[in-house]
Amino acid sequence: MMKLEAVIQPAKFEAVKDALIEIGVEGMTVTEVRGHGRQKGHTEFYRGREYTVDVLPKVKIEVVIPDIVVDKAIQAITNAARTGKIGDGKIFLSRIDEAIRIRNDERGETAL
Amino acid sequence: MTTGPQPATPPSPRDSAADPTGDFALRGFYRHEFDRIGRDFEATGSGLASLSDRTRLVDRLVLTLWDQYFSSRGASGCAMIAVGGFGRSELFPHSDIDLLFLATDEAGRDGIKDEVRGVCQAMWDIGLRVSPATRTLADCTRFDQNNVEFTLSLLDSRFLAGDGGLFERLHAQVLPQLIARESDALLQSLSEMTQARHQRFGNTIFHLEPNLKDGPGGLRDCHVAQWVGMIVALGAGRRPDLISTRKNSEYAEMMDAMEFLCSSRCYLHYHHNRDDNIITWATQEELAERGVATKSGPVTPAEWMRLYFRHAKTVARSSSQLLGQVSRNRSSLLRSFQHWRSRVSNEEFSVVDGRVYFQQASDAREAVAVLRLFTFIARHGVALSPETERRLNDAHRRLAETMPQDQYLWQHLREILGLPHAAEALRTMHSLNLLTRAIPEFETIDLLVLRDLYHRYTVDEHTFMAIDVLHQLKNNAVVCLQPFADLMLELERPELLFLALLLHDTGKGLEGADHVQSSRQLAVATVKRLQLTEEDAQAVCFLVAAHLEISSTMRRRDIYDPAAIHELAGKIGTTERLKMLTLLTLADIKAVNPEALTAWKAENLWRLYAGTATYFVRSADTERLHAEISNEPAEKIAALLPGRREELLEFLDGLPQRYLLSHSPEQVAQHFTMASHLDAEPVQIGLRDCSGQQELTVVTPDRPGLFGTVTGILYGWGMDITKAAAFSNRNGVVVDSFYFKDRFRTLELNPPERERFKRSLRDILMGEAWLEPLLESRLKADRRPVKLTVETRMRYDDECSARSTLLEIVTQDRPGLLHTISSTLTSEECSIEIALIDTEGPLAHDVFYITCDGKKLTAERMRSIEWALSAELGDSLPNAW
Repeated sequence: MMKLEAVIQPAKFEAVKDALIEIGVEGMTVTEVRGHGRQKGHTEFYRGREYTVDVLPKVKIEVVIPDIVVDKAIQAITNAARTGKIGDGKIFLSRIDEAIRIRNDERGETAL
Repeated sequence: MTTGPQPATPPSPRDSAADPTGDFALRGFYRHEFDRIGRDFEATGSGLASLSDRTRLVDRLVLTLWDQYFSSRGASGCAMIAVGGFGRSELFPHSDIDLLFLATDEAGRDGIKDEVRGVCQAMWDIGLRVSPATRTLADCTRFDQNNVEFTLSLLDSRFLAGDGGLFERLHAQVLPQLIARESDALLQSLSEMTQARHQRFGNTIFHLEPNLKDGPGGLRDCHVAQWVGMIVALGAGRRPDLISTRKNSEYAEMMDAMEFLCSSRCYLHYHHNRDDNIITWATQEELAERGVATKSGPVTPAEWMRLYFRHAKTVARSSSQLLGQVSRNRSSLLRSFQHWRSRVSNEEFSVVDGRVYFQQASDAREAVAVLRLFTFIARHGVALSPETERRLNDAHRRLAETMPQDQYLWQHLREILGLPHAAEALRTMHSLNLLTRAIPEFETIDLLVLRDLYHRYTVDEHTFMAIDVLHQLKNNAVVCLQPFADLMLELERPELLFLALLLHDTGKGLEGADHVQSSRQLAVATVKRLQLTEEDAQAVCFLVAAHLEISSTMRRRDIYDPAAIHELAGKIGTTERLKMLTLLTLADIKAVNPEALTAWKAENLWRLYAGTATYFVRSADTERLHAEISNEPAEKIAALLPGRREELLEFLDGLPQRYLLSHSPEQVAQHFTMASHLDAEPVQIGLRDCSGQQELTVVTPDRPGLFGTVTGILYGWGMDITKAAAFSNRNGVVVDSFYFKDRFRTLELNPPERERFKRSLRDILMGEAWLEPLLESRLKADRRPVKLTVETRMRYDDECSARSTLLEIVTQDRPGLLHTISSTLTSEECSIEIALIDTEGPLAHDVFYITCDGKKLTAERMRSIEWALSAELGDSLPNAW
């Protein structure tokens, strides 16, 4: 099993969610986050006052999936979230040792 | 308190399928009887019968166990007492069983430990969840603030077995003395516990998936009402009797509600096989399909939930009234607050203990007096007294028939909506079925449950909460909401925003997929009936129709993407509408559920607002109208001017698009007509009352210093400019609009002065009179220096226009400010191409697109202007940007 964390543009969340559901990944944890990679920030003005937007709004999606689905999930996310511009986000992968369904103690991939 | 032992008859073969001797047999007996009661419930649907049946069953079991474990030591000195729900004989299928083992003294308590343990162990083995307590009589005389629940549970005590004399001492002496001594503290604790419990549920009964035990209007509130009645009676040395404290009709309503809630809770327990009290969507469908507690058989889920809310309202009202009636016993702080509230009484309404009464009972039959009552509630946040509520209910038919629905209603409604407790007043109106009489469109969402995973309240309650969100902004301590609180103070017509909020979801009650369109259609009908002005009606309908635009942009677009901002700005049109729509979006999200508006969302909303507001300022000069390109707003105006379309398009040619967006078609048609008379009279002046201010329009050929001259004249006349806009078309015809406050009410108190004012304006602009004498007299009168609290900031933007330089000034508002700035710009040989002037409280936000010799400003000119303005505005040196 792998955990896949995708930090994406908020505007792309719906598309990414739909793409994951389409390939059978239905469970996910979603967090509203702020941050920046290479995109860094920029300067805005409001009523003559300058302010720097240095951490930008992003959405973090976490899914734990069977190894066999990982490549499809990566493809689904990149296809849905990519605009080609700086700030599209990143995907991080890590290995998961065990998953347990609290309701009935199911373990492993069946608990996903 | 219920008294008297139940007959301790052991189970007999006639009553049971199994012989209840030995724990195993008792377990089988209990299971058999439990199932039988469940089948009876399925057959009859009577929750109350089910509760008393299970109570009788458990009575028999615990009496059998008592005999088994206590027979050897005799009954003297200890008693087994049912308390809590068991004491009330209201045992739900999976409720805990509260048992009190009462001993005469500590030695007696220690002496029954083994027997108590035996009874409890056996109960667990049978499958009964027991919550035992062992106390001495002396323990029961003490009131423990940290264990109020124990004293409350004694109110429901019922003798089961053992020393009847000991129970009688508890029941007839100890408890009445305890309550008489501690009734104030007990009531206060009960009130605080109830408030804290309600707080957990957002202080509303209108949840989409309600908890029918602990939620407001749930069974716990029934118990609170009963306990209050008992405490008050025992405190006064009377026998507790709930009926004596209520009118018979109210008692009957309360009993109906209890029966409904009990039957529903029984269903949940039986069908989910656990102590489940939440009416989920799935359960709502089952309850409705089976017609549980309806008395009329199967209904739709929406109808079932309406029944639920009706009963929950009865319970919530009853418990809150009873708690209110005993408020005289509450803390001195609350008493003094309520005493303060009583001082808000006037010749029409009196306030006693935070509840409002009519001074003249007959007023409850007059619709206008009742609307004034709701205005009073909206202003002071007081609740209806039971007597007032009764009078209004009695007069409902007459009120429903005479309730105004036109401009007279709007006169009251606009005041109600703008007051701090508007949501409470609207809820009260709605609970009396008067809001839907005043605004029939609201009927569509009356107690409407819409199923999604996001909303937590019924649509009507969501609406009231959204209105409350905006009123509470000024009291909020949440940092991310502070900018919105400031924005709220800037609104010119907050009542329009509140009306839009009241109507924004009405379409959800109609068939069809697009609730926004349906809501807009209902809003169109409402504003027409309320006889709003064309301009106000358009604003309200726009807000309703666009109420998801900002949310949608936040969800689907990059909020920093200029294209997304450009598109959003195009849909919204003006800064004022942007402010209202931003606040509507905030309220709409926050009223969905307590967690819906995260700091993340609030900050994104603010960033999108700020970006769009800045866009409006920066795009004024680039987006101009072209005679050859037709557009929808221009065609609308042309329709008002039959046969003059070409002339109109020529007039519009070169004007900023912002001009069309910030004026109604009727206003533009008026400006066009004025411009067409310039040959006969080169200075055209329009002056009209506008929402408590004056609106001055000047249409004239452009000339150097024109804007500064008009602002000087207004200052000279003592007028305080709050908003202004200056535009010109390709032919050099200027359309300047000024909104101003008449500081000395000159025009209002002396109607002939209106003509003298217009003449003065014309003569000075035509060069037939001098501005200086007017200014000198005003400067003498305004000699007092202004205390500066707002830091002056100036900023140039040389990129947003191909022809002009943008100068943005934020500074402290003060008399004559605009004239000071514009005359300084004129003395610096600058020409004002566009001016966008706004005032927000003490802050003036002025934007000028300026040129010098028809070109953008040089760096040297910028510095010179900066120094000159800094000197004029009271700052020693220009601010760094």
